[in-house]
Amino acid sequence: MTPFPPSLPGSPGFIRLDGVSKSHGRGAGRVAIFSNLSLEIPRGDFVAIMGPSGSGKSTLLNILAGLDPVDAGRVAIDGCDLSAMGEDARAAWRTTTLGIIFQFYNLMPMLTAAENVELPLLLRPLSGRERRERVATVLDLVGLGGWARHHPREMSGGQRQRVGIARAIVTDPALLLCDEPTGDLDRRSAGEALDILGRLNRELGKTIVMVTHDPAAARSARHVLHLDKGAFSPAGPEVLS
Amino acid sequence: MTLLRLIGRNLWRKPARTLLMMLSVAIAFLVHGLGQGFLAGSQGSGGAEAGRLVVQSRNGRGQPLPHADAARVAAMPEVAAVAASARIRGYVGTERTVAVASAVDPNAMAAVMAGDLDLTPALLAQLDGARDRVLVGRSLMEAQGWRAGQRIALTPFQIARADGAPWSFEIAGVFEGARPEIDTHFMIARYDYVNAARAHGRDSIDGLMVVPHPGVPPAALAARIDALFASSPAPTRTQSEKAFLDALIREIADFRLVVTLVTSASFAAILMIVANTMAFAVRERSFEIGVLKVLGFPARLIVGLVLCETLFIFVTGGGIGLALARVAALLAGPELGLALPPPVVARAFLLLIALALLAGLVPAGFALRMTTANALRFR
Repeated sequence: MTPFPPSLPGSPGFIRLDGVSKSHGRGAGRVAIFSNLSLEIPRGDFVAIMGPSGSGKSTLLNILAGLDPVDAGRVAIDGCDLSAMGEDARAAWRTTTLGIIFQFYNLMPMLTAAENVELPLLLRPLSGRERRERVATVLDLVGLGGWARHHPREMSGGQRQRVGIARAIVTDPALLLCDEPTGDLDRRSAGEALDILGRLNRELGKTIVMVTHDPAAARSARHVLHLDKGAFSPAGPEVLS
Repeated sequence: MTLLRLIGRNLWRKPARTLLMMLSVAIAFLVHGLGQGFLAGSQGSGGAEAGRLVVQSRNGRGQPLPHADAARVAAMPEVAAVAASARIRGYVGTERTVAVASAVDPNAMAAVMAGDLDLTPALLAQLDGARDRVLVGRSLMEAQGWRAGQRIALTPFQIARADGAPWSFEIAGVFEGARPEIDTHFMIARYDYVNAARAHGRDSIDGLMVVPHPGVPPAALAARIDALFASSPAPTRTQSEKAFLDALIREIADFRLVVTLVTSASFAAILMIVANTMAFAVRERSFEIGVLKVLGFPARLIVGLVLCETLFIFVTGGGIGLALARVAALLAGPELGLALPPPVVARAFLLLIALALLAGLVPAGFALRMTTANALRFR
């Protein structure tokens, strides 16, 4: 494992944060989360971001997903300047470029596993048959080929998370953002989920940014960053132990 | 899966809630349908022919006009048909059973009411056998349980007989209305008989019904008729049959206002119930809306999904309510005279869609305003 430098000189970043500032609250109660934060992640990397609660890990993920606007600075992913895009444009961008995996899976309870995975494809100009084929492929990829017609309530946490992963990759996005993907899983299920993420990175070249508290999860990444007090630092052994 | 299926899955995730909302919409539109059916039916002015005119004395509705006016109006080149009528209002059997006999020239009446009343030549011929024969409308016939050939007595409130006895008529046949909204709760007597036997006011009538030739504007003809009698001893007031019936009904009560108030109250209640319940339902699945936004669903599509859910509840519930109102109109029989003609149903559906969009505004606005990051915190 190599500690990750916030910027790789001479390497055009797939993800670029330039002087990003973000704060929450209003007026006198305004609290700065980051100030002048910069980061560059190359295409095909697998980066884990750790840090104490309240350090801004999830806010950073929301910014990378185009869900939270920044106060200042510039966020660019694969050449798209998110800071300059409107909400609808960012939504359209997410359907093509981004997959998100949540800690609590965030599956639609009234839909089956296959229907949950199919959701992002409803926005694509695909026939029903093409959609079903893609769904079957990714469900097989995450080892849930036989669970397509089951509802989330009939599945274990690990299985639900794998449905969440399948939903995130069904549009074949270049970037996967993972928000504590193992936070609600037992050790075995967490291992399975991380194994899938590792394969997606190694075999399919997906760029993955994962926010986690779990040192074991962080160790599966190629690089680990520690975010604290609004600044990145390479994660030392004490963080990963 | 399709977006339609997604809407369906959202709707039926809590079937009891959805069914109750549909039920409340159905009840509101049943009330609306019955009210509109009442106004559009024979109890209202729904059966009135817009082009047909009613001529009465300018001095008041109860004041007589000379029977000779009928011939003067008939001689006008714009007039296609005229029927003079003297109405005997009275009771049959007990004093609570009020009935009306229109004393007319049956052939003139058939010409004026062509297309509305089924007064066939064969039926009209039934009146030829004796001067005291009457044709009874289907609604009145069924309400009284009369039979053809039966003799009935009508004790008059006005137009008394010269001998002081009640009017005695023999039922010669039954006439039908061409549509449910056509009033058939009256009988047609022969004017020559009534005129000869009445105690006072011979050769007078209560009014005329006039049908203009095609292409003649009814309002212009009405003005010409009134001008014709303006300087006579009995000046006239001519208006459309609809305006006449509306005024007649308003003398009893403003049913249109009553129906409007009742349906408005039920709609207001339904609007609050459905809007509130839908807002609750949308708030309840905030995180799912957040997920949809994260997956790239644009805000307008999410708003569309929410509005479609509301629309489905209203269209299904309202459709059921209107269908029940239609069934009620059919089962109620001609004496209630409820009618739901296609224009009334079409207006109800437009109202239904407007209310659905209105009820969907609150939850849709909530979904629109919700930021994705906040929505995901609802979990």
